[in-house]
Amino acid sequence: MAVDGASRGGRDVAALNAWQERLEETALEPVRRTGRRFWAVVAILLAIIGWGIYAYSIQLRDGLVVTGMRDRISWGLYIATFVFFIGISHAGTLISAILRVSHARWRTPVTRMAEFVTVVALICGASFVIIDLGRPDRLLNVFIYGRWQSPIIWDVLAITTYLTASVTYLFVPMIPDLALFRDRLAGRGSRWRGWLYQTLAIGWNGNPAQWRSLASAIGVLMILIIPIAVSVHTVVSFIFAMTMRVPWDSALFGAFFVAGAIFSGIAILIIVMAILRRAYHLEEYVTEKHFVYLGYLMAAFAAIMIYANISELLVHGYKLQEGVEFHFRQLFLAEFAPLFWFYLLGGLCGPIVIALVPATRNVRGIVAAAILVTLAMWIERYFIVVTGLRVPLMPYEPASYAPTWVEWSLLAAGLAAFALLIALFTKLFPIIAVWEVAESREAAVTDAGATRPIGEGPTLAEGASR
Amino acid sequence: MTTVLRRSAGTVAVVLAGWALFVGIAGPAIASHVEATVTSVGEVSVGETVAIPLALHSRDGTPLAGTVVTFYLHMAFAGVEGEAEIGRVMTDESGVASLTYRPRLAGHHELRIEYLAAGATEAESTSTVIEVTGGAQLYRSPAGVDVPGVGVELLMVVLAVVWTILFWVVLRIVAIARAGREADAAGPGTRP
Repeated sequence: MAVDGASRGGRDVAALNAWQERLEETALEPVRRTGRRFWAVVAILLAIIGWGIYAYSIQLRDGLVVTGMRDRISWGLYIATFVFFIGISHAGTLISAILRVSHARWRTPVTRMAEFVTVVALICGASFVIIDLGRPDRLLNVFIYGRWQSPIIWDVLAITTYLTASVTYLFVPMIPDLALFRDRLAGRGSRWRGWLYQTLAIGWNGNPAQWRSLASAIGVLMILIIPIAVSVHTVVSFIFAMTMRVPWDSALFGAFFVAGAIFSGIAILIIVMAILRRAYHLEEYVTEKHFVYLGYLMAAFAAIMIYANISELLVHGYKLQEGVEFHFRQLFLAEFAPLFWFYLLGGLCGPIVIALVPATRNVRGIVAAAILVTLAMWIERYFIVVTGLRVPLMPYEPASYAPTWVEWSLLAAGLAAFALLIALFTKLFPIIAVWEVAESREAAVTDAGATRPIGEGPTLAEGASR
Repeated sequence: MTTVLRRSAGTVAVVLAGWALFVGIAGPAIASHVEATVTSVGEVSVGETVAIPLALHSRDGTPLAGTVVTFYLHMAFAGVEGEAEIGRVMTDESGVASLTYRPRLAGHHELRIEYLAAGATEAESTSTVIEVTGGAQLYRSPAGVDVPGVGVELLMVVLAVVWTILFWVVLRIVAIARAGREADAAGPGTRP
């Protein structure tokens, strides 16, 4: 009996070692090999970004008159896209921080991707504010003439803090994996890669003192980053809610924006997960379970968004203050009605149905729901910005706004830059949190081992290396 | 030839001068049958309410009742100059339209007063000047509710706390690097 138990334990350890080896190879694979398809995608993305740079040069040369923005509708596609990107940056916070705080083990294979999305989305989002300025040198005015009382200054402070915290939160849990890359790729890759991993691994060798410091740093960061992320989108909402415009006159805007941000963040994460899973053959680690769980989360946030919309629209519509009637007509019946109904039915109700119906509760169904949500949430951001400014402040004809080719080009370039940065990240850094996935697996096996009769097999702590 | 040209030019100049003299003297009489009299307000203080009366009479002295008079203030803001309508009053039976005006900024206020008399086809106007003294500007934001402890200082405290925690995390990273160096110095490290 004891011999049988020992041999089974040995098989368990061997199986786990093989599994760990496979996991590390999977994480290293994108860095080791780059196919033609990847370069083709990069070339297409670079071409789109190049076109965007050309469009931006036209805007720099001729001014913002090349956009559809004018004195009455002075925010358009750029600010809507800024809000959208800041929103999807909440993916990392939710998946990584909230699920880490709640000890949800299933999160581990997707945390790294979520943290990538956060950092890249923040960089892209902040770029759109600079694009919207027309003259980028005017950014200095924020620092020279900024006032502490202004929500724009709060926004700059919140986004800067969030970007710093997000980069730190991406880097700290990645240190052991960077050390793995340093050790496994030593002498096999280019010299600059070796230098990069050597530098970023900061001398990690996995001694107990390092694990203690790592655990305390992650523990503090995962709690700290949640209120920072919430504050970021709340402050973004203040830019609208603190402006004297009837459709933006809401105390609910902060919570509404945060819920929408997490909602769209989950959707983008699901899409990124699906693409990377297919491109780098991560099916063993990023399973259907992850998509379904994230689908449930997305459906839960869809329900919160429906509640927030009803609360917002019903209160405004019941009082029907001056300007609200015009606003409701343009949203529900007139110019913006088709897309607004798509947002309500396709973007909010659709994902709930997809997540609840067993036939669609699979990878394809959840990815389709995520695409619907992403489109709907971009439309929602656009409507918040443009329809709010379109309501006349005085009895004159409403202004009209149509984005020009320059704005569409820069939007395409922004999305291409987002995709390109994610693609380049996957070629440089581990896309799976190897040590966290291994630790999670170890804990799962240990839990399973604990249910066995004593002496039936060793736990991983006894027999397996991390 | 030169003499002919010089004489022709001289003749044209004399005719033009005569026409200008005629228009200058008789023009107003032809253009208007209305006499407008603005009572000078003189000097007022910021925030003080004053009446700016304009009396309209026909040439024969009959008061022009029921004429709409519009008052414009010449303004300059952010490099843009123009007129802002500050009021519209109808003349009473004595032909007087009096605008109640409360200047909100100190300085030299130029007003243009426009009216279209009955039977006239084009609006006419006159002007007046008000010197407004005083340093106080009436355009002020409400002071708001001063809640003790809620203000810029609170924002600074929150920011300081957040960045201090982030700095502490950086110190943890430094500790990781130091522990790695110490382990390397002690001997070959063991990867867990």
